[in-house]
Amino acid sequence: MLKPYLAFAKKNFLNRSAYRFNHFIGIVNTLLRIFIFWCIYDALYGSRTEVDGITMAMVTTNFVLSIGMDAMFSIDDYYLSGRISNGSIANELLLPISFKGRMLFENLGNSMFQLVFHFVPALIVAALTVGFLPPVSLPMFLLFLISTILGYGVLWTISFAMQMFAFWLINVWSMVTIKNVFINVLSGSMIPLWFMPEWLKPVLDVLPFSSIYFTPVQIYLGQLTYGEIAYKCGIQGFWIVVIWLFGNLLWSRGKKKLVVQGG
Amino acid sequence: MNDAIHMIGVYTKTIMKSWFQYKVDAVLRSLAVFLRESTGIIVVYFTLLKFDTLNGWNINEMLFLFSLLFVTYGILILFFTGLRDFSGTVRSGNFDRFILRPRGLLFQIIFVNADWFAAIGHGGLGILLFVLSAGKVGVVWTPANIIYYLFAIAGGVLIQGAIFLFLATLNIYLLETGSLKEVFYWNARKFAGYPISIFHKVIQAGMIYVVPFAFVNYFPAQFLLRKEDMAAYPEIYLYLTPVVGVGMYLLAYLFWRVSLKHYKSSGN
Repeated sequence: MLKPYLAFAKKNFLNRSAYRFNHFIGIVNTLLRIFIFWCIYDALYGSRTEVDGITMAMVTTNFVLSIGMDAMFSIDDYYLSGRISNGSIANELLLPISFKGRMLFENLGNSMFQLVFHFVPALIVAALTVGFLPPVSLPMFLLFLISTILGYGVLWTISFAMQMFAFWLINVWSMVTIKNVFINVLSGSMIPLWFMPEWLKPVLDVLPFSSIYFTPVQIYLGQLTYGEIAYKCGIQGFWIVVIWLFGNLLWSRGKKKLVVQGG
Repeated sequence: MNDAIHMIGVYTKTIMKSWFQYKVDAVLRSLAVFLRESTGIIVVYFTLLKFDTLNGWNINEMLFLFSLLFVTYGILILFFTGLRDFSGTVRSGNFDRFILRPRGLLFQIIFVNADWFAAIGHGGLGILLFVLSAGKVGVVWTPANIIYYLFAIAGGVLIQGAIFLFLATLNIYLLETGSLKEVFYWNARKFAGYPISIFHKVIQAGMIYVVPFAFVNYFPAQFLLRKEDMAAYPEIYLYLTPVVGVGMYLLAYLFWRVSLKHYKSSGN
């Protein structure tokens, strides 16, 4: 059943290894992002050891993990729109496999490649330079892994639903860019959500964005009880289902509307 | 000269027509650029809501520092889009068409394309930040300060234009320079929104002497604001922005002229 999809995942994994120089630049960029935020927070903390009970080491860990995960997930927001504009979607829809399944598995192959050749090297360099905290305990680390997978699910479904607008818009670049603004500001990868204004925190807690990176980070740091973890992972699952259903609705509407010009 | 101005008019009209072919898309794109560029500002705003100052810079001073970056880019992109996208022009062979036409090459590259969405997005944001912060940072807008500010903007545009021109020229030797631009321009720009004094000495040196973004916004802002962290740098740097701009641009232009003799088409 899964075999063709795994083949797609493998193909994408191998494809990625062809562009070595660009890949190297990608790792440098990830490290630079981590380093810039480390410098900013180093200056902000000054001689203070903690702010609101949050230490500099926790802030650094938040940036290393969330920026690293962002690079690892590396979702192709133009998967569908590229295939619509060059017409190849017409052939791909005829194949006896699910287009959406293929979309997911090609991305998974990509993410596995990024995990091994981007996330891990970046993590090693970060550990040797800015340093970050180890997970609080083994059970928490395992829960962190589960929550990270769910976080990936939330990010993927958001991108999936957003991409469906390619059926109606000439260019999805604007939509994708605006989506990324929301993710960047509200997910904790540019400002740790501990430091957001108090009035905004309850809103952020229930939005899907904070569940992408910040929930796993909080579990990793041991900031949540088992009850809270169950609740937060529930929110992750809730958003995956809701956004997936929404994306599917757009997919079935859009597919009927699809017109491919030329061949 | 009149002929050149007429041609600029024709080019601009054509660009506008093609960009605004799809109106909804045009509005969405400008909005997207504006929001994307605001991301850094929103993050700084929330961060300083919690921490008050960053190495002595308060929120208004930070916005002022950012505004210089955006205003210069907004102006820059009206003139230098062709150089930003030059690697595509060379790879597709379109550059050969430019060579055959009876007009200056740089003239064509500069005026044939202008990214109005980026100009509106960046420039609009720059002006907005300037209006929000200029009155609250304690700068007295004397005629001398206003003249300094205008020269600093011009210098900042030339510095970035020179970087674009230099990287574009490299395309004559290498077909793919996207990664180099990523490293030297866009990465440097990521640092440039913040006071350079918070970074490691190596990065500071890079920002001053290699990809001199410090002269685009940090030193001009320091001339007007005189924050304490200026003590780490020579006083003279406050006045150098226009000099660095003109000097770098001339060097880049020279490099361009010399390199053109070596141009070989990518072929079709």
